[in-house]
Amino acid sequence: MKIVLLSNLKKHKGSLIGIFLLMLLLSTAFGTVLTVWANSSAYIQEQMQRSGFGDLTAWISGISQVSQLADDIESLEEVERVEVQRFIFSNYTIDNQESDSEGQLIVYKSEEKRYRFFTEDLSDYKEQPSKIAEREVYVSPSMVSMFDIQIGDEIIFPIARNQKNMIFTVKGFYEDPFMGSSMIGMKGFLISEDDYHTACTILQNAGMDALARDGSMLHIFSATSMTTSELNRVINEHTTLAQYTEFVHSKEAIAGFMVVLQNAFSGLLFAFALVLLIVVLVAISHSISSTIETDMVNMGILKTIGFTSIKIRKIQLLQYSIPIIIGMVLGIFLSIPFSSLVRSMTLTTTGVRMPISLPVVWTLFSFGMILLLMIEFISLRTRKIGKIKPVQAILGTTQKISINMQKRISAFGTKIYFRLAFRQLITEKRRYISALIVAILLVFFVSLIGRIDAWLGSDGKGMMDAFNPVDHDIGVQTFGNADNAQAETIIRSYSDITDIYLLAMPSVAVNGVDYTANVIDQPERFHMLEGKTCINDNEIVLTEFVAAHFGVAIGDIVTVQGERGSSEYIVSGIYSCANDMGDNVGMNREGYLKIADDNPHIWCWHYFLADSSKKTAITEALENTYGGDVHVHENTWSGLFGIIYAMRVLVVFMYMMVTLFILIVTVMTGSKILMAEQNDFGIYKAIGFPPNHLRATFALRFGIIAVIGSIIGTILAAIFTNPFVSSVMKLAGISNFASMPSMRSILVPSGVVTVLFLLFAYLAAGKIKKMNLIQLIRE
Amino acid sequence: MKNVILRAKNVCKSFYQGSEETQILKSVTTDIYEGDFTVIMGASGAGKSTLLYALSGMDSITSGEVIFKEQKINNFSEKEQAVLRAKQFGFIFQQMHLVSNLTLFENIAVAGYAGESKNIKDIQEKTMKWLQQMNIDGVKNHLPSQVSGGEAQRAAIARAMINNPQLIFGDELTGALNKSSSEEVLNLLTGFNKNGQSILMVTHDIKAAIRGNRILYLEDGKILDELDLAAYQEDNAKTREAKVNDWLTALQW
Repeated sequence: MKIVLLSNLKKHKGSLIGIFLLMLLLSTAFGTVLTVWANSSAYIQEQMQRSGFGDLTAWISGISQVSQLADDIESLEEVERVEVQRFIFSNYTIDNQESDSEGQLIVYKSEEKRYRFFTEDLSDYKEQPSKIAEREVYVSPSMVSMFDIQIGDEIIFPIARNQKNMIFTVKGFYEDPFMGSSMIGMKGFLISEDDYHTACTILQNAGMDALARDGSMLHIFSATSMTTSELNRVINEHTTLAQYTEFVHSKEAIAGFMVVLQNAFSGLLFAFALVLLIVVLVAISHSISSTIETDMVNMGILKTIGFTSIKIRKIQLLQYSIPIIIGMVLGIFLSIPFSSLVRSMTLTTTGVRMPISLPVVWTLFSFGMILLLMIEFISLRTRKIGKIKPVQAILGTTQKISINMQKRISAFGTKIYFRLAFRQLITEKRRYISALIVAILLVFFVSLIGRIDAWLGSDGKGMMDAFNPVDHDIGVQTFGNADNAQAETIIRSYSDITDIYLLAMPSVAVNGVDYTANVIDQPERFHMLEGKTCINDNEIVLTEFVAAHFGVAIGDIVTVQGERGSSEYIVSGIYSCANDMGDNVGMNREGYLKIADDNPHIWCWHYFLADSSKKTAITEALENTYGGDVHVHENTWSGLFGIIYAMRVLVVFMYMMVTLFILIVTVMTGSKILMAEQNDFGIYKAIGFPPNHLRATFALRFGIIAVIGSIIGTILAAIFTNPFVSSVMKLAGISNFASMPSMRSILVPSGVVTVLFLLFAYLAAGKIKKMNLIQLIRE
Repeated sequence: MKNVILRAKNVCKSFYQGSEETQILKSVTTDIYEGDFTVIMGASGAGKSTLLYALSGMDSITSGEVIFKEQKINNFSEKEQAVLRAKQFGFIFQQMHLVSNLTLFENIAVAGYAGESKNIKDIQEKTMKWLQQMNIDGVKNHLPSQVSGGEAQRAAIARAMINNPQLIFGDELTGALNKSSSEEVLNLLTGFNKNGQSILMVTHDIKAAIRGNRILYLEDGKILDELDLAAYQEDNAKTREAKVNDWLTALQW
C-alpha cells in the first residue's frame, strides 16, 4: 500500500501540488479572517475595560459644577461609580481642511494609564510619555487616513474669535479604543494640563466670542444588570444630567462602531473564503475524476492482485489528505503574518492595533470541520472506484465517447480553431465542469466586490448616503446676518439646484433617553428599511439600534420629550441612519413642532445640484461670503477616505487571490486534460497543425468556459449581491445597500476572469510544444 | 536514373538513461527514391520505427543529416516541420490514430485544412472524393469508435493523401488489421505507388513487404542489406514472397 501511495504521489505530483497551494491560500485567508474577527471585538472590550470607560459615557458641557453632578449620579443605587475626564470641545483645521465634527482636547494624565502610545512608524507600542509638552498633541492613527496627518504637522484649534487659536504640533499617535476608528467622527486629542488651562482661560476671557466649549466625559459604571438605556433613563429621571448632555453612548454601542470595519471586512473575507472553499472542493473533485480515469488500468490491475476497492480508496484518500493537511497547517501559520499585514494596513483606519494571536479553539474547530468535510467529500468522490471491473479497466472498455450527432457542431469549416475548441468542449464537457464552476464562483465574487466598489464610488457617496438619513449634495445652515435666499443665489451662480428640503437635528429624549432627532419637512425622503415613513405629526421612525434599545416595533408607542413639552408618537417605521452611531430618530416637521419651538437657525437647507462637482467651490464661496455665519457641509466625511482606502485594499487583495486561484485551477485542470488528450495533440501535430495553433485552440476552450462562467456569475451577482451584501453591511450599521453598477463594474470582472483563464490556459498548454511526438503516437 | 527524394547521411540516434547511452541508429546512410515503394524490415528492436520517424522529421536525431529534396530538414524549426508534415508528408500509423471525437469526414477534412488549401469548398470536395475512393463515404459521419479497423485505416490513408504529399510514411500500417482489411489497404497503397506516389513503409509482415520494389534490412541500428524487386504485380506475388523469404533467411531473420 505504501509503495502504491508513494508511486501515486510521484505520478500526480502536479495536481497534488496544486491542491496544496489552493489549501494554503484558503487556509491563510480563512485563518486571517478568524484571527481578525476573534481578536478585534475582544480587544476593544478589553481595552475599554482597562482604560476605564464606563458602561455609559455622557459628554456634557455648559456646567460649572461637574463634580457635583458626578456625585449626584454616583449617589444613585444603580450606579457603582463615576469618573470624570475634562476636555475642550473645539473644531479644528489640518492643512486647511476643516473638521466635520468637533475635536475633544483631552487632558493627559500619565498616572491614569488610560492610553497606549505607538512608535513613530506605528509598528509597535512604546512607553507612555510621563507628560506632554506644551503645544504638543497626540492623535489617533485614523487621522492619517482622514487627514493624511504626519508627526510634526500642525493642528489649529480656534478657541475664540479674533484669532484666539491654539496651534498644536503632532508629537505622536495613541490608541483610542473609544473613538479612534475613522468610522467615528468625534476625535480625541491628548494635550498637556497647562494647555488645557490656557484654553480654559481663553474661553473665560472670550465671552460671546468663544468658539470652543469646556466639556467633560462622565464615565458611568453600572451597579446593576440593567441595560444601558434603562440606566440612562434612571439617571435622567433622578439627576440634571440631561440638561448638560451633548450625547450619551453605551460601551456596547461604541465597541460596535469601533469594530464595524473589521466586522464588515471580516464578513466579506469570510464569504470569500467560503467561495474559495467551494473552488478547492471543485478542483479536488476534478482531480479525483481525472485520476480515476487515467489510473483506471492500474486500479484494475491492483484489483486483480487482490486490492479491495476500500483499500484503493484509502490510498486515494491518503494521497489527497497529505497536500490538504500540509497546506492547511502551513496556511494557519501563514495567517499570523498575514493578520499582521492586515493590521498594519488597517491601523490608520481602525485606529487600534489588534492582537494577532490565533484563536486556538476557533481555529481547531473550524479547520477540523473543513478537514472532515474534505475527507467526506473525497470518500464520496472516490466511490466510483468500487465500480471498476478489473477486466473492463484493463481492456479499456469503460471509456466510450458519445456525441449527439444531431446537435454536434462540425469541427471543420470556417474558424476551424474555434470549432475544434468548441467540439472538444462538447465532447469532454465533464472535464471542464470544474473550470466552469470555478469561473462562475470567481466572477460572482469579483462582480460582487465590483458592485460594492461601484456603490461606494470614488468619493464614497454610496456610503455617505447610507450613513445619512436622506441623500443630498450640499447642506447650508445660516446664522446671524446670513440670509438663505442670498446663499441660494450664490449656489445657483455655480450650479442649478434640482431639489431642496429642510432638515434639523435637535436633541430630544425618547422614553427618557437622549437622542438626536432628524427632523425633516419631506419625510418621504428618509431611507426606510421597514414600515412607512412618519407622514403624520404623531408618527416617528427609529433606527434598528434605537428600536432594539427599547425593544419596540412598528406600531408601538414612544414618548418624546422636547424643549417645550412631550408627546406620544407611534413608531411608523424603521429607517437607516448611522449618524451618532445609529443613536437617532426621525420625525417630520409638524410632529417635532408639537414639542419644541421653531427657530429658523436650526434648519439646514439641503440642496441637490445639477453639477455636484461644484460642491467644494460653492462651499468656499459661501464661507468666504459669510464666514462663521454659515455652516456648509458636503455629502462627505473625512473618515470615509479611510474606508474607501480599506475597500480598495480589499478589492486588490481579492483580485490577487482570484488570479492565483485561476492560475492554479487552470494549470491543474489543464494538465489533466492535456494528459488525457496527448494522443489527439500528437495526431494534430503529425498532420501538420503548428503547436502554437494547438495551444491557442486549447486556451480558447478555457476562454469559452470562462465566458459562459462569466455570464452566469454576472447574472448570479446581479441577483444575489443586494441581499447578500446587505446582510453583511448590517454589521456596519448600513442597511440601505443597493448596488447600481456601471457597465464598467459589470464588464471588468468578467473580462479579467476570461482573460486570466485564456492566458493561464495558454501558458499551461506550453506542454504541447514540449510534447515528444513519438511518445504521443506510441502511447 | 531515379531522383532522390529523401537522403539519410550518417544518421545516429541515441537514448540516454542517466549517463548510460543506448544507440538505436548507428550512422545510417541511405537514399529513398522518388516513385519508389521502399520497405524497411528487420527484427524487433532493430530500430525500424526509429529510423522511419527520424527520416520523417517526427523525431530528432542525435547526429547526421536528413535531406528532403535538397533541404536539410533535421534542424527545421517547429513551424517549418509543421508545414512539411502538412504539405509534403503523409503519415499512416498502425493504430490509425484518428482523433476520437471527430467523424471520419472531419478527420480527413481537418488535415486538408492544415495543408495548402484554405478554401472550405475545395477541401470538402477533396474530402468527399477521398471518402468515395476509400469506399467509406457511407460511414463518413461515424466516429472512429463506430467503424471497423479497416474503415478506420482507410480513413487514415485518405487523411494522409488529401494534401497530395510527396512522400507517404507508413508504420506497421497493417499490424492491427485482419487479413482482408490488410489486403484492401495494401492494394490501395500499391495503386497509389503505381500512380507515382513515393512510399516509405516499416513492416515485419512479408505479405506487406513484397508490395515494395525495394526492401532495406535493418539490424542493430544499421542497414545490413537491401533487396531490389520489380514492380508488384498480383500474379507474381508468390514468386516475390519466396524471393523475399530466401533473402531474409539468408540474413538470419
